[in-house]
Amino acid sequence: MWIVEYRELIRILTISDLKVKYQSSVLGFLWSLLNPLLIMLVLYFVFSDIFGMREGQFALYLLVGIVGWRFLANGTMTSISAIVGKPSLVTKVYVPRQVLVLSTVLSSFTSSILEFSVLVPLLIFFGVDLSINLLFFPLIHLTFLVLVYGLSLILSALYVYYRDLNQIWDVLLQAGFFLSPIVYPISIVPEKYLAAYMMNPVTLIIEMYRDVLLYATTPSPGDLAFIVAAAGAALLVGGAVFGRLERRFAEEI
Amino acid sequence: MSSALPDPRSIRALANGKIRLRRDGEGEDAIVVENVSKRFRIPHEKKATFYDHLLGVVRGGSYSYEVFSALEDVSFTVRRGETFGVIGPNGCGKSTLLKILAGVLYPDSGQVRIEGKIAPFLELGVGFQPELSAVENIRLYGAVMGLSRRQIEEKREDILEFAELKRFENMKLKNFSSGMYVKLAFSTAIQTDPDILLVDEVLSVGDEAFQKKCAAKIEEIRRAGKTIVFVSHALPTVRDLCERCILLDAGRIIALGDAHGVVDEYMRVMERAE
Repeated sequence: MWIVEYRELIRILTISDLKVKYQSSVLGFLWSLLNPLLIMLVLYFVFSDIFGMREGQFALYLLVGIVGWRFLANGTMTSISAIVGKPSLVTKVYVPRQVLVLSTVLSSFTSSILEFSVLVPLLIFFGVDLSINLLFFPLIHLTFLVLVYGLSLILSALYVYYRDLNQIWDVLLQAGFFLSPIVYPISIVPEKYLAAYMMNPVTLIIEMYRDVLLYATTPSPGDLAFIVAAAGAALLVGGAVFGRLERRFAEEI
Repeated sequence: MSSALPDPRSIRALANGKIRLRRDGEGEDAIVVENVSKRFRIPHEKKATFYDHLLGVVRGGSYSYEVFSALEDVSFTVRRGETFGVIGPNGCGKSTLLKILAGVLYPDSGQVRIEGKIAPFLELGVGFQPELSAVENIRLYGAVMGLSRRQIEEKREDILEFAELKRFENMKLKNFSSGMYVKLAFSTAIQTDPDILLVDEVLSVGDEAFQKKCAAKIEEIRRAGKTIVFVSHALPTVRDLCERCILLDAGRIIALGDAHGVVDEYMRVMERAE
């Protein structure tokens, strides 16, 4: 299995990706934490009056949603160029190309874990009761990892052939941001669209982050099963698409 | 052997429905190439974006392309422990063949079976990063070759010693001279302990003393029973080093057999062409 045989390469590429990410800006790592906080403040001032939620509560509601969403957005936007960005490892030598995608996704995953860990003191500061339900967090986050990886396989493979895909995906992500419950509560979604709305696995995942981090609620087994199935499907489809498109990578790059 | 059922764990990649195998068994054949063809499509109009495709639909543009046939129906077998030469004029398909053997390119039809670990020396120092030190680059290159961290650490001293770069192990690669660079690259590649070596004219690295050392190392590897596929324009070297050899021209094998015979045949063809 390539994932075992090339684990050292995956580890090295992930770490060097993180180093580049955090060294290229002056504030480095701090920026990656400030970014979601600042976005939260902007959205807070825009939306806080509209939904009439309690102040502190709405800030945290936003923050959990933003940090969760950032993993999807950053993970897919950086790994879309995972293949195109490392031409020598594609055309000059054989390594399983999935290694390149997986290592960029893992680097975003690590950033995301760091962002969530910084969130915890904030939760305590605002008086949220952390409960045993926190133990569901790793399961949810790992499921999200599989989902993002599956999407990234499709995107990075298509990007080799369609070099404007990043522009299109950027727009789709913007749409997705407002189609998921990040800046508004689900209660404002009209009844007739609700069934379709809840079919979006990202919606469920973000709601579960809030369940376990903010509301001390246990996620429903049905929802958990749904997101695991969705992530599994993304992985299967992603693997199949990638395998099909991979054959001509070396010619197209 | 080829009659045995493929072990599913050893399937490395799928090539057009054909299975590319990598087994660590003790079969007699190291590389089996069967009816491999590779054609490159050269589009008249390069469409690299969705926008281009959309524009093509609106304007009624065509998807016409020219087909360049790089390899046609190539079959041969390299036996375990053999040194096998590939010769031919420029553009005959040597590089395409090497890239297919390395797993970088996929054949359009036919299949390739590789038994054992293959080290493609298509270009030395692939993946080396100038901002990293020599030792860090050794780790990176070892990882590219699929070695584990422990295996890499075990080889580290040998690599530095062979490259004569022990003193510079913590120097960043960007400060290396080009000679030191290729020494490090060659030493790292050669120490990854492959079963099959693909060598593409990279033996001429470094100064004369280092070249001799490389030649001796290759000879040592050969005697250790490893398989070597050697692509070169240096006909005398091919004749001396290789047991068997193929001659490619315009993507087809025009001679296969004893290295002396094939090299002589090639020289005759060249003379006639002149």
